[in-house]
Amino acid sequence: MSNPPATSRLPADARLRRLLAILAWLGREGRARIPEIARRFDMSEKEVVAELELAACCGLPPYTPDQLMELFVDDDVVEANLGPELARPRRLTPAEGFTLAASARAILAVPGADPDGALGRALQKLESVLGSQERMTVDLDEPELLGQVRDAAAAGRQLRITYYSAASDRTTERTVDPLHVFSSGGRWYLDAYCHQAGGGRHFRVDRIETARPTGETFPPATGAAPTTVFDPGPETPVATVVLPAGARWLLDSLPVRSLTEQRGGRLRVELAVGGPAWLARLLLRAGPGSRVVAPRALAGEVAVAARAVLARYGE
Amino acid sequence: MTDKLERLTNLLLVLLAADQPLSLDHIVHTVEGYPEGYEAYRQAFERDKRLLREQGIQVAVEAIPGAGDAIGYRIHPDDYWLPDLKLTDEEQRALNLALAAVRVDERAGQDAAWKLGAGGTLASVQTAPLAALPSAPALPLLHEAIRTRTPVSFVHRGRRREIEPYGLLFRNGFWYVVGHDRMRDAPRSFRVDRIEGLPELERDATFVPPESADWRRTLPEDPWMMGEGQELTAEVRIDALHARMAEAELGSAAVAGRSADGSVVVRLPVVNRDAFRSWVLEMLGHAEVISPEELRRDIVEWVRPLAGKR
Repeated sequence: MSNPPATSRLPADARLRRLLAILAWLGREGRARIPEIARRFDMSEKEVVAELELAACCGLPPYTPDQLMELFVDDDVVEANLGPELARPRRLTPAEGFTLAASARAILAVPGADPDGALGRALQKLESVLGSQERMTVDLDEPELLGQVRDAAAAGRQLRITYYSAASDRTTERTVDPLHVFSSGGRWYLDAYCHQAGGGRHFRVDRIETARPTGETFPPATGAAPTTVFDPGPETPVATVVLPAGARWLLDSLPVRSLTEQRGGRLRVELAVGGPAWLARLLLRAGPGSRVVAPRALAGEVAVAARAVLARYGE
Repeated sequence: MTDKLERLTNLLLVLLAADQPLSLDHIVHTVEGYPEGYEAYRQAFERDKRLLREQGIQVAVEAIPGAGDAIGYRIHPDDYWLPDLKLTDEEQRALNLALAAVRVDERAGQDAAWKLGAGGTLASVQTAPLAALPSAPALPLLHEAIRTRTPVSFVHRGRRREIEPYGLLFRNGFWYVVGHDRMRDAPRSFRVDRIEGLPELERDATFVPPESADWRRTLPEDPWMMGEGQELTAEVRIDALHARMAEAELGSAAVAGRSADGSVVVRLPVVNRDAFRSWVLEMLGHAEVISPEELRRDIVEWVRPLAGKR
């Protein structure tokens, strides 16, 4: 658990948002222990007491006791008698309304989600108030083996998989302990311990060709799952490439380290490389005018890939 | 000195309890913590008002009844609270879980959870992250325009567009806004992350969106069908290595032939040649455009400069 920052270091607007949230919750609960509030809202107990004592001095003019918020801190318990008003949901900003709808839609787009379940009903109520019924769609893909790898991760079942690696442009067999399955950028990924690599790896679920249980089990993961897919570490090789101006869209979701625009709109890009085939794929798609500046070995790989394509056309 | 949070909380309570607009003079003398001197307290009040607005709290500026031209301030309860959603505890928990399990805009997600009554930070919710959706600065404003049926204009890839937005769609990893393009007088879709700057809402206008959910069909499922141009039918041979993935992506109906070596021939309509070429080249040397000749030639000419000296 990290040390929550001292109250004074948070700006007043962030404190106001948090205080209103605590008051809304207290308004419903009526009574709570200070350590419980501290844990729920990621604050120190000292901070909780300071904020609640401040709130207890707030109210309406003439600020006589009967006009102040009814909050009593006694030992490590707070008693609140705030009335139902403060606990009512507040209006959402555009960013909050969007994020809420998108989050709920994403969960409902997960294969197997129940559209008539609690979340579906909540979203329906919310959208009818916001005026946004039938106005947002989230499509997540549904690879064939998604259900099987999700079940394996949940149960802690080891799998033997055949996997197409885009980085090496090969299909390999691996034994993996599936830890988490998550969707990022519209694709499903399996985060697993790979026994061949001797470490954690991400596998795109639609590139898993076959999967069968080995019969071995392991304790299912409990920690937080990653939601970023390619997290280049310091040891990942970096390449410098020049791409034509029209190729900018190809960079949208890539691990770009630096990008400078050159004369004529060409782009000089430094990026972490997922593998030789990965880089070849990027340059072939970027097309004429693109080249690898460094390292030289990767420039050779791109030329080899280009010749392999041309060979298909009798060139 | 009064803690600024105390001043803000009192200001909020006073403005919310007011049944008619309160003058600035009245406010700064009843709410503790404002500085002395007109210019100083006016500026401090303006800052507080802006800060409240950033949290989605609208401070209304109105004439004070019976006080001539004098202007006052209050918060209308209807602007402050959502209409009662009548969420059950289970439904509220489900929304909170969704916000904790999906990463879009973390700060907005936390604030939304709190406004709906979550009793804690999202980090304290015991759940594994399940999905991450990209966020873009234009998305909240487009969503607001869609909800409020407000026409919107923006610059998209260097061109100004004016649309009546019908909906937002997340597909193939990107957000698209779909709507009626007023200049072309036709339905169009635009990738949201290619909008430059922020969209502008035409606040004093409204439009009536179509009732049905058909707007979704404006956006083709495959990138190579997006755009305008003559439609061609392409045939592509795909090696065994990629055959299963291609079939899963295109559907079995697209498979026009299968060979004993595991390769397949797929047939697909193509409008956007750039997107088609990009899709084919993603398979490197494991795919070959068989026909039409025009698209075969396009691949060869595109790739040749990259092959180096032989």
